[in-house]
Amino acid sequence: MNPLLEQFLSETRESLQGIGEKLMQLENEPESAELMTELFRFVHTLKGNSGLFDFPELTRVLHAGEDLMDAVRDGKAAYCLPMADLLLDAMDYVGMLCDEIENDGVYAAAHAGDSVRLAETLRRMIGAPADAPGAAGAVSPSAADPGPSAEVRSLLSGIPERIRMDAYRAQTSGGLHCLVYSPVQDCFFQGDDPFFQARRTPGIVWGGIAAREAWPELAEMDAYNCVLDFHVLSEAPAEELKEYYRYVFEQLQMTTISPRCLILPQGDPNGGPVYEDFVGDALGLLRGGDIDALRRAARSMLELSSRELWFSSALRWLLLATEVEPENGVVLEAIITSLRTLAAPEWHVLAAAAGPQSPAATGVCAAKECAVQEGAVQESAAKESAAKESAVGEAGLLREETGAAIRAIVDVQREILSLPDEVAWIAGRVKAAAASLEGCLRSSGSLDALPGLRLAAESSVALLSAAPLLAWVEEYAEEMAAAPPSSPNAAPNAASNAAPNAASEAAPNATPATCQAEAPAAREPSAEAKPSPAAAAAPQPESEVKFGRRVEDVYAAAKSIKVDQVKIDRLMNLIGEMVVAKNALPYLAGRAESVFGVPEFSREIKAQYAVINRIAEEMQDSIMQVRMMPVSFVFQRFPRLVRDTSNKLGKEVNLVLEGEETEADKNIIESLGDPLVHIVRNSLDHGIESPEARIAAGKPAAGTLVIRASQEAGRVVIEIRDDGKGIDPAVIKRKAYEKGLIDEDRLERITDPEAVNLVFASGFSTAEAVSDLSGRGVGMDVVKTAIEKVNGTVHLESEKGKGTRIRISLPLSMAVTNVMIVESNRQIFGVPMDAVVETVRVPRAAIKTIKKSMATVLRGRIVPLKALNTLLGLAAQQRANEEDELAVLVVNVGDQQLGILVDDFHETVDIILKPMTGVLAGLAAYAGSALLGDGSVLMVLNVKEVL
Amino acid sequence: MAIVYTKNKAVFSDAAGAEEAETLLEWLGKHPKGKIDLGACVHLHPANLQVMMAAGCLVTVRSSDQDLAAWIDSALKTI
Repeated sequence: MNPLLEQFLSETRESLQGIGEKLMQLENEPESAELMTELFRFVHTLKGNSGLFDFPELTRVLHAGEDLMDAVRDGKAAYCLPMADLLLDAMDYVGMLCDEIENDGVYAAAHAGDSVRLAETLRRMIGAPADAPGAAGAVSPSAADPGPSAEVRSLLSGIPERIRMDAYRAQTSGGLHCLVYSPVQDCFFQGDDPFFQARRTPGIVWGGIAAREAWPELAEMDAYNCVLDFHVLSEAPAEELKEYYRYVFEQLQMTTISPRCLILPQGDPNGGPVYEDFVGDALGLLRGGDIDALRRAARSMLELSSRELWFSSALRWLLLATEVEPENGVVLEAIITSLRTLAAPEWHVLAAAAGPQSPAATGVCAAKECAVQEGAVQESAAKESAAKESAVGEAGLLREETGAAIRAIVDVQREILSLPDEVAWIAGRVKAAAASLEGCLRSSGSLDALPGLRLAAESSVALLSAAPLLAWVEEYAEEMAAAPPSSPNAAPNAASNAAPNAASEAAPNATPATCQAEAPAAREPSAEAKPSPAAAAAPQPESEVKFGRRVEDVYAAAKSIKVDQVKIDRLMNLIGEMVVAKNALPYLAGRAESVFGVPEFSREIKAQYAVINRIAEEMQDSIMQVRMMPVSFVFQRFPRLVRDTSNKLGKEVNLVLEGEETEADKNIIESLGDPLVHIVRNSLDHGIESPEARIAAGKPAAGTLVIRASQEAGRVVIEIRDDGKGIDPAVIKRKAYEKGLIDEDRLERITDPEAVNLVFASGFSTAEAVSDLSGRGVGMDVVKTAIEKVNGTVHLESEKGKGTRIRISLPLSMAVTNVMIVESNRQIFGVPMDAVVETVRVPRAAIKTIKKSMATVLRGRIVPLKALNTLLGLAAQQRANEEDELAVLVVNVGDQQLGILVDDFHETVDIILKPMTGVLAGLAAYAGSALLGDGSVLMVLNVKEVL
Repeated sequence: MAIVYTKNKAVFSDAAGAEEAETLLEWLGKHPKGKIDLGACVHLHPANLQVMMAAGCLVTVRSSDQDLAAWIDSALKTI
């Protein structure tokens, strides 16, 4: 997961929490415009942020929420409790998506539908129309849909017969999908090409284009106002289509149809009596089960008729149907009967062949037959249909009709059961199918088959697979349809029995246990929980879509927390004190041995000290980690700075940033900011030449400025390198001499690398004129001071004509300082370990006095020596040890090594260096003071100042 | 240019972008009986398409891209 997304998720969580709080507060004071504004700001920010990522569903819901709050702010809508509920729901939804993103990096495409519904419900609160009026439904999940809408039917009839026949022949198990994609009018301005999108629809069988409205006069036409609708018939699974159209989901209307709905004969309805005869014969053949003869008759009839006739078209479909599903008498019969009426078979009505006893029954069956919807709504509808269908028997229908109805129901169940098993609601689906089948058994009177059915259903539920029940259906289907209703009384009983059954079977599913936290299934239980047939037949009111957040749900814990820096600093101070306090233990151990004379006790204290020391160090390390920040914090300002500055100077510069993830203590990073800006400005102003000069010098026109951060041995190293004209040491020397920074003597001796480092000297400037960018002669001096303040060093290398390189080295942290304790004149002093090179004991004889200065030779190098007592103005002489050797602490000062004579060396300790305050602050010789473990005060020398 | 205009014909080639629609609309305004040749066309932006639909254009040459041709058949008449 990239850092940006991580940041987004953590911010989103914060915002969601903020939104939740504000909503709660609003409940108490609903009139507060201030709260509403804050709320709006939260959502607005969240929406803006979400736009950075590829999460259209998230953005869509947030956008709708933002619109709603904006409307409330403007007084267009009144704040009310349902609105708060809805907003909380929407925020739960956003939170849920965030959880999924956090866990998997993406969320399931199935959320697209929910997001559209939510956004729409939110918008409805405003009273404003949804994004795309008319297309609002997106996937029409309504179970009571009486077959395909007129729109879909006209769409289907627009598909050439050949293509429809191919699609019907393919008999896609998941059903076919009719898409009506109505892009928004201004989509062209957003760079969309909806035609291209439609052409690339997965599993596309056919596509067509239609105008949404009548065409205006050409002269008045706006070519860029999209008025086209794209119609697509696809055999791809609904999920795939949803995923493909997820960005424009609200502009899409998707209807699932059974392949049978494609049987739409077309042509010239020029009827005649000859057809009537054929219909009679054909029905006879069909009932006699002689499909072959039927096929022959149809074929010869087809040869006799003109191709263009409606009749011929129907015959072609009949032939195809005998080929594709010869066993399905209902379909064949329907096609044959349609020859009589010259009207396309009403497939959804046919399924409920029992006729229009109750509108609900028709609706339910229609939904099953013609709109094989996946999902819980349909499952529950099917369940209810069991009761209805058995009630069908009550009306005292003719035997054949009942048989046909049962056959149709069984067919549907078979179809449902052959859907893929890999869905969360498979158990519900199986139970629903079993309930339907049970109803059929009851109404046909085959009660003895009931135990077998129940057994099959139970094993199906247990295995979470439809296979056992499907096998049962295959075996008993024919038998069921053939069996007559045993007695007129059986049916009413069945009806009254079946309904409670269906309801009670649905009930266990309604317990929250089945839904767990599984988001896609979250809607299912609520849909199934409605035991009343009327309620189940109607689709769930959309506003009641919940996203399964309950008190007992596990909320994803936030991974990051925001802490006030003061708290961290306090922690830092405490661990510092801890480090000091633990240093008291070795003293204690020493006292146990020397004063109280118990060496065992001393050893034990030392052992304990080792443990505490380890923990303290780890603790210190962890706290350091908390304070660590990546250098990108400082680096991020440079792209803009370089761009602006180079534009102003008319130079071309490529900025290269490297190692932005390198981390260091917050204080260090913050102290880096200004020095780096100075250095970069200097590089741009003085270093990199104008494009013409660069080309003349044989370099590419665009200069390169590299800023690289890296970690080296516990220090952060920042390198700023340009390929500009470099620094001419001769010029520096002359300027430095002119300004009196160096004397004549030094001028002659100074080496070129030393000379270029003179730019850091105070008051130095080579520029003839002061510009607003640089040239005041304070820049590099300020850089050096700022860096040294945090114990850093800065070094410059330059080669004339090739470029300049500045290396800044900084400690990773500055909280705890490691110092060496030395003794002189019975006092102890600290010397920062950074400065210490080595400790040696030099025999007095090896110390030579040259003029008035002492020096010695160490490994072939002359090291000047200075006595600490002299440096500090103490009258005493340095003491030597028994062998007459003097203790020499070799330190680094600038680029030189120098020996300090002391009386004795002690251990090194970690201390918290406190700068001198008050009147003592003026004593430059000391860097600060620190408290030691035994309670004494240690003065830490500022080596550079002392010498 | 993905659309080349001859005396009474707009000849499409490759993919016609949205920016072509303005010119096409203008041309169709001047040549109400203008014919369309989609032979070498592989895709056209819907802005072009709706301009042609509004003008009731006749396609003289169907696109050799069968997929595109099938789509266009539903929107425009072919001679």
